[in-house]
Amino acid sequence: MKKYNTPLIDQLEKGPWPSFVTEMKKAGKTNEMANDAVGHLEKCYTTKMGYWKHGGIVGVLGYGGGVIGRYSEIGDEFPGVAHFHTVRLNQPSGFFYTSKALREICDIWDKYGSGLTNVHGSTGDLVLLGTKTDALEAIFAEYSSRGWDLGSSGSALRTPSCCVGPGRCEWTMYDTLGLNYALTQEFQDEMHRPTFSYKFKIKSSGCACDCVASIARADMSIIGTWKGDIQIDQNEVKNYASKMNINAEIINMCPTQCMSYDGKELKINNAECSRCMHCIAKMTKALKPGKERGATICIGSKAPIVVGSLLSWVIVPFIKIEEPYTEVKELIRKIWDWWDENAKPRERIGEVIEMKGMRSFLEAIGVPPMPQQIKEPRKDPFMFYTEDDIASYKAKEAEEKKTGKYKF
Amino acid sequence: METAELQDKIFAFVEAAKGKKKLKEKDIIKGVSAEQNVPGDDVKKAMRAMIDVGRLMYSYGGGASSVEIPSEEYLREKGLIK
Repeated sequence: MKKYNTPLIDQLEKGPWPSFVTEMKKAGKTNEMANDAVGHLEKCYTTKMGYWKHGGIVGVLGYGGGVIGRYSEIGDEFPGVAHFHTVRLNQPSGFFYTSKALREICDIWDKYGSGLTNVHGSTGDLVLLGTKTDALEAIFAEYSSRGWDLGSSGSALRTPSCCVGPGRCEWTMYDTLGLNYALTQEFQDEMHRPTFSYKFKIKSSGCACDCVASIARADMSIIGTWKGDIQIDQNEVKNYASKMNINAEIINMCPTQCMSYDGKELKINNAECSRCMHCIAKMTKALKPGKERGATICIGSKAPIVVGSLLSWVIVPFIKIEEPYTEVKELIRKIWDWWDENAKPRERIGEVIEMKGMRSFLEAIGVPPMPQQIKEPRKDPFMFYTEDDIASYKAKEAEEKKTGKYKF
Repeated sequence: METAELQDKIFAFVEAAKGKKKLKEKDIIKGVSAEQNVPGDDVKKAMRAMIDVGRLMYSYGGGASSVEIPSEEYLREKGLIK
């Protein structure tokens, strides 16, 4: 195995924190691809150039995604990374694995790839870094024979992901694991056979703490929420008062200022609450979400690729999320139909809504306009005037002008 | 229309666009469906059967996926030709 001199990336091994360079070097002791990846990285740092090319035609027969082609421009110098494709594995809902499953994944990866992994990639998949084109079919065959499947890439539904939900969290307002699993099963075709104009991501968070960052990173964000009043245990509030400053840490930090505490009793004006979870997350024993639980569905967030970044926008303020999730599935299909009709290549749904307008989008998917859909506070919401509305307004205005009642 | 005949029409449609336009799955379904007056679902099924055996393939470039006629290199890599 060739030994590379790596003074620059060695700097990244200093300090008390774990170092990816250390891990790459460890893998490089037994794996030529990982070893060349170390040398390649040092070269990138030395010349301040990235030599990676991505895309092209790599994948397994019948699938349109799951493998992202990566090649080095300097493959002659570093043959181990001349092909260094990324393989995405569909992660289990909530990222739960047994240690046996992880060993199995890594054993197969050691056999065919660089041994380097990225658990998990920002999309949510379990990411295996670096293999050659001629190993792809064998990799797929071995993983699928053990019940694993490739994740998604390209212009497709990206592998849906969710928070740990009811598996480990008392705040989840719906079964994120169940919904995520059901959506993954339902939309296998849309995941593996790219039919869309561009990528589409669905992320499910059980509450507004939003542990999978769905509000910023999913075209469709399904975020748990509740109806009704926050449940308060005043005895527990007293216990918290003995160890924290409730006014400073809770009341003053409430974004809608809907709470008060007089030293004896905590009060919440629930009509003003935006369900941000701050108070509940800080006073876990004293406060609980309301009893009627479901989710808010938002649409359109994305990172800045074609145009600037967007956050998701509420389209359904409250929906019950219950098996068999028919309502959610039907809504998703309607959203895709509208997107497909209106998008040009590489346009995310949020961008198309910005261009075509929320009005036409809501009309197409059959969701009525609601005050909660306002995009930003203290700005005019979109108004839905029909032609009849305008005609009657003009008639009224003409009448008022005639009678002298009209005031500008 | 028989599936084999429909698949030939799909192949011709993709071949005609070669080098001119990257075709999405939906472009092919809509285009062939209109051209041959057959239901879109039939075109979809026939096309996907072609992809499964390597007569057509998914490609990726510039951030978007498309359907193309596979190169000899691809077919050799998949063991479909020697």
